[in-house]
Amino acid sequence: MKKKLISILLSTVLTAGMLTGCGSKSSSENETTATDTASTTEVTENASGAGGEYDLTLYSINTTDPDFDAWLTNVEEATGLKINAIAAPTDSDTRQQKITTMLSTQDKSVDIMEVNDEMATAFKNSGWLEPLNDTVMTEDIVNHFATGYVSDMITAEDGSIIGVPGYAGYLALWVNQEIMDEVGMDSIDNLDDFKQYIQSATKDGRYGYGGSWEKTYVFNEIAEFVNLFGGDYYDWSNEGNREALQFMYDMVNTWKVTPIDQIADKYEQMNQKFIDGKYGCVFYWGTGSEYAAADMLGTDKIHQIAIPTFQKSSIFTDSWSYVMNSASEHKDAAVKFLQYMASEGGMQASWDNFDRYPARSDVAEKIVPDDSAVKEMYTTYATKSEVRGRPMLPQTMEFISDMGTIFQDYMQDKITLDQFCEKAQAYVEECQ
Amino acid sequence: MKKKLSMKWIPWLMILPVLLIRGFTTIYPIFTTLWNSFFNIKILRGSSEFYGLQNYIDLFKDEKFITSIQFTFIFVAFSMVFHVILGVILALVMNMKFWGRRFLRTIVLIPWAMPAVVAGMAAKWAFNNDYGIINDFIRRFFHEFQLNWLVNTGTARISVIAMDLWKDLPFFAILVLSGLQFISGDIYEAARVDGANQIQQFFRITLPLIFKNVVTLCIPFTLWRLTTFDLVYSMTSGGPGEDTALIAYRITTEAFTNLNVGYASAMAIMLFLVMAVFSAVNIKVSNRVRTE
Repeated sequence: MKKKLISILLSTVLTAGMLTGCGSKSSSENETTATDTASTTEVTENASGAGGEYDLTLYSINTTDPDFDAWLTNVEEATGLKINAIAAPTDSDTRQQKITTMLSTQDKSVDIMEVNDEMATAFKNSGWLEPLNDTVMTEDIVNHFATGYVSDMITAEDGSIIGVPGYAGYLALWVNQEIMDEVGMDSIDNLDDFKQYIQSATKDGRYGYGGSWEKTYVFNEIAEFVNLFGGDYYDWSNEGNREALQFMYDMVNTWKVTPIDQIADKYEQMNQKFIDGKYGCVFYWGTGSEYAAADMLGTDKIHQIAIPTFQKSSIFTDSWSYVMNSASEHKDAAVKFLQYMASEGGMQASWDNFDRYPARSDVAEKIVPDDSAVKEMYTTYATKSEVRGRPMLPQTMEFISDMGTIFQDYMQDKITLDQFCEKAQAYVEECQ
Repeated sequence: MKKKLSMKWIPWLMILPVLLIRGFTTIYPIFTTLWNSFFNIKILRGSSEFYGLQNYIDLFKDEKFITSIQFTFIFVAFSMVFHVILGVILALVMNMKFWGRRFLRTIVLIPWAMPAVVAGMAAKWAFNNDYGIINDFIRRFFHEFQLNWLVNTGTARISVIAMDLWKDLPFFAILVLSGLQFISGDIYEAARVDGANQIQQFFRITLPLIFKNVVTLCIPFTLWRLTTFDLVYSMTSGGPGEDTALIAYRITTEAFTNLNVGYASAMAIMLFLVMAVFSAVNIKVSNRVRTE
């Protein structure tokens, strides 16, 4: 009898303890939501906010930047908001999965997120992101951003603008000037120059061209070459597309000016090789901070050049946009944050701390020094090349990954060019 | 008799909390997944239409899924064979008396303690032709050696299996070692007196006595191999192409990257059935081995 009583007592205590544990969470939910979300060691509390209440939570890709704290201090001072910053995963797949999960489940713990073009395209018609037309991206502001980019990437079918571009970026052609000098070339202006450069730069284990051909990364380069050859990424019966793919195939298999090994490489591997002088040129985003960190950025070292003209000169622009979670319970604070990010002050903070070129043309003109090499190049791109947003479909990541897979198969002779084009067209239709 | 019957509810009450937790975290998701597998769910459009068995029919027409099944089978088979062979050898080595044995037993578990994602990311560099530690080591003997392991189907698959072994083999060996330590030294001594050499001792004494232990270990280790995801995710992203995409990786990609939840659920149910059948067979075999 005594045992029975003890058993009942223990069971009651255990059950009650569990229920109490479950119940107590809701009472402290407001205090714990931010940390709950980032339970996978992704919380990066800023120094000023530790231990206190926050006005909003930001899911950021920049928390690992050494100047992130300075940027955050600037934003907090300018907006008067106390911001809880959570680090987004650095891996693109993981990041997209996390953000998709948060948005699709109406997770309220994050108010502002940074999304790339892939995610913006996927989410803009989902209703998961708050329209900003009346609060942040008003007509007077939106006119300063690249119109084509805003309409293609961050405007939903119903006309809602769902993001504030955090910067303007280009998929630029970067060259190693030492190799340019070695092969005796001053410029790469057209297809013949490009071929001559990548062929003459290839020797002694060095390749004229380097890429990041991992299946979810190679999409950028395929689309860039398709554009340069005057193709259309959505139409794989276009002769320009075939020429572009044949050209990339020849680079690997015929001229051997780029290694097939790079199908395992993401940007970090590609950049390491480029910095180490193993590649003559690469297509890459950004303002060259990785090369600067390796002391390899400069007109006599690694620098970007104007895009050569094949069939035409074409360049992709991209951005990461700040978006508001429509389930956010701190929309006023989120609007305040976004208004600052769309303003001159916000763009200046990003330029000063992250080397992010301002997305607003008027701000770029004002705050970026005229002698900046980046400004010179970005002006060249805007005036001499066709500037386009990357081709995206609603099922973005599936499309990107599938295209990367068949590209790798083609480069490795597992399928023919005809089979590639046939499959590519099927993916275009499936992922609409 | 009446008194005994009245006590029956007590064990149930005792395990009720666990049953509730298990029900919510395991049974409920399984039935939800099964339910979802009959629907064509488009998360981005917020739509869901009944699809019947179409997701299951599509599975067998999907080249990517078939490739995943093939590689998963190869991965599980090769990995488990080497787990058993090398695991037993490593356990025997750790059971020997030699200077530094304690140190070996301590450091051997380091790979197992490392998160698979970290190991995968490190492996991505380790198998790199230009910067990898693997080729750097090989080039000390073969100066002209050039191979990017993660580029070709065969070598990429070998690399993934090798990393899996590197990571989990020590744990398997430690568990086998625990079985070895239960074998009395008297048996070996008697065998030596009877003139048995080392090889005879191994095949006549050691192997029969750890056999049940090894068979039992194979159940969870095989199931873990079947659900391996993180290593491939961080090491090869399923590449080159889809050649190293294990089923668990494909399910995750379909569900969370491609957002094809219904289709991914159908895959998950198929994997669940395979695991359930495998577990049932394995448990039956182990029970038989145990009773023999």
